[in-house]
Amino acid sequence: MKHNLLTTTTIAMLLASSAYAQEAIKIGVLTPLSGTYAGIGQQVRWGIDQSVEEINAAGGIAGRQIELVYEDSEANPAVAVTKAEKLFTVDNVDFLTGTVNSGATLAVGQVADRADKLIATTVSFSDAITGSGCSPNVFRVNARAGQQSEALAAWLKQEKPGAEVYYLGPDYEMGRSTVAAFKERAESVGATSTGEVFAPLDSKDYSQYFGQLRAARPDVLYTSVAGNDTVRLFTQMNDFGVSEGLTILGASGTVTAQNINAIGAAAEGFITGVGYSVLIDSPENKAFTEAFRERNGADPDLYGADSYGLLFAYKAAVEAAGATDTDSVRAALEGLSWETPQGTKTIRAGDHQAMQPMYVVEVKNGQFTIVRSIAGEDAIGPDTCDKF
Amino acid sequence: MHDRLDISMRANHVFFWILVIVALVFAAFASFSGDVFYLRLATEALILGGLALSIDILLGFTGLLSLGQALYFGIGAYVSALVLREEPSFWLAMGAAGVSVLLAGIAGGLIANRVRGVYFALITFGMAQVVAKVVYNSRELGASDGLIGIPVIEIPLGLITLSAGDPLGFFLLTLVIIALLYSVSAYLLGTPFGRIIIALKANEKRVPYLGYSTWAARMAAYVLAAVIAGLAGALYPMLRGFVSPELLFFATSGDALIMVIVGGAGTLAGAIWGAVILTMLKSVIGSWTEHHLIVIGLIFMSAILFMPKGIVGMLKPFVERNLLRNSARQPKPEPERTAL
Repeated sequence: MKHNLLTTTTIAMLLASSAYAQEAIKIGVLTPLSGTYAGIGQQVRWGIDQSVEEINAAGGIAGRQIELVYEDSEANPAVAVTKAEKLFTVDNVDFLTGTVNSGATLAVGQVADRADKLIATTVSFSDAITGSGCSPNVFRVNARAGQQSEALAAWLKQEKPGAEVYYLGPDYEMGRSTVAAFKERAESVGATSTGEVFAPLDSKDYSQYFGQLRAARPDVLYTSVAGNDTVRLFTQMNDFGVSEGLTILGASGTVTAQNINAIGAAAEGFITGVGYSVLIDSPENKAFTEAFRERNGADPDLYGADSYGLLFAYKAAVEAAGATDTDSVRAALEGLSWETPQGTKTIRAGDHQAMQPMYVVEVKNGQFTIVRSIAGEDAIGPDTCDKF
Repeated sequence: MHDRLDISMRANHVFFWILVIVALVFAAFASFSGDVFYLRLATEALILGGLALSIDILLGFTGLLSLGQALYFGIGAYVSALVLREEPSFWLAMGAAGVSVLLAGIAGGLIANRVRGVYFALITFGMAQVVAKVVYNSRELGASDGLIGIPVIEIPLGLITLSAGDPLGFFLLTLVIIALLYSVSAYLLGTPFGRIIIALKANEKRVPYLGYSTWAARMAAYVLAAVIAGLAGALYPMLRGFVSPELLFFATSGDALIMVIVGGAGTLAGAIWGAVILTMLKSVIGSWTEHHLIVIGLIFMSAILFMPKGIVGMLKPFVERNLLRNSARQPKPEPERTAL
């Protein structure tokens, strides 16, 4: 067997040789270790490694140690399905996780269906995974795109009832679907839509859209641009005075730790809905973030936190079921509630989507500040899965 | 007497037959040991071998560097996937994919064959990127998520019916299809038409002086390559049950180009050997180290430095010498096919 993970396996072997003769539970981690999403894969790996070290040190799952098998998905579904088949049939893993891009999760989910194994994603956002493309063998423990919209819409309802909202998205499929999703939620809580515009990715000049934006006289602007596009959009809005008197809401990727410094003062007052923030004020999160920083030399982000939480759910399910076979573990995971750094998560049996508290964060003095938390039940949205 | 092209093609056949024998031995061994993963990986390698074969027709024979051959592989895969989702019929999917890539190849050829050299490479690259972006952003085609839910089909083959979910059966079927694509390519390149194509690579300016149209020959080679790539692509969703826009990306075209160069450009069989070797290497090295891209890159660089003609290209002179010696012993230099 090949291991990429020296520390965990060393600990695992030490413990296994001393106390437990039982066979280890094998978990495959299929995540991008190279390419565009390698940064996300790194967080996934840190989170999972840390949880495995803790679980193994505390005696493993029902007395059995966890052994991880890593494979690089290269963020390419075509590579991911091949690697998933290898993990299922050659390495004989009991459970698989780590897929990042939604295309890979959907395709690997189908491999899991055909191999009669379970997978869980801790990263993919696409609503399809637990919606139109749901599968009895696929679970998601992170918040999907819709939950962010629900959280923001809940905030909008309370803070800006009857708001007039304008939408500005990047002109590609993901941009259009995030805008469409939020628009639907916002209108359902009584907001009025005053218009929408889509700017090409990597736009250098957003001022051409400001005329339409001002003419529509919105109270609230929703945007799902990301990365350097946000830097340009926000600074240009600031320079033109468009952002005065306007509340700006956005997707969770719009303003991040990576671009907040470049945006500077123009980011002030930006509001978004997230499933995790290091600022969550709970003893569980404090302990987790401290251990994470100590171990990995970096702050956890939502991917690290969601990945860390996953295996505690798997442990609880296997221990409740008393077995690792697919049917027993699936039944035990459905409806399971467990503790994570983000608070209590519950897997909804109807579509295998985890319900979790969502947080509305606002940029204040250049820092993300949690302004409100929305209960998991209020942010989950309807169950649209009809496959099981 | 000893036609160089004839000897060269017969040497290619030798390498292809070795591949077939290795494949059959492997299949027997794999099915005996109850393996699923490596059989399906080998099937994928053969499918990618079809894509590499199409690149070799352009690069190794016509002298055209296509950086966007994944375009036709992807169109074949998407058309096959869309048909299979509606109607799980193998022949319908192959037929629809074949007709679609034929039309797409003609359209692409009309654009790309207006230019030569580096501009041809850039245009083929650009066309593939444009179509990949369109697919990536079309919700009807599954957008960035791709299309899943392609059923495991039953393939009626006259007397027997084969399931695409049976690893051994589908591997053998893919081997037969790739062998057919190889045979058709080899046959066409051996005809007078094939010689015009090869003349294009040698010296394109002289071909019109011999009374042949360079445009028609280039066009024919381009469309032939498109159809081969598309038919190979049509097998992909049957094996993996999904398609995604990544199949059209440069990574797919680039990988296939590496397969051709490692295997040996201008040898046909080398393209398929290259696909098999690279796919197996990627799987083994990928599981061994997360720095697999560096290792693959080093292998590729050393292959170019130390074996510029590729594996088959390097071994081919020995086989050719043997074939020449054998045919010299025979009283009549009749093209003896059974000797292969």
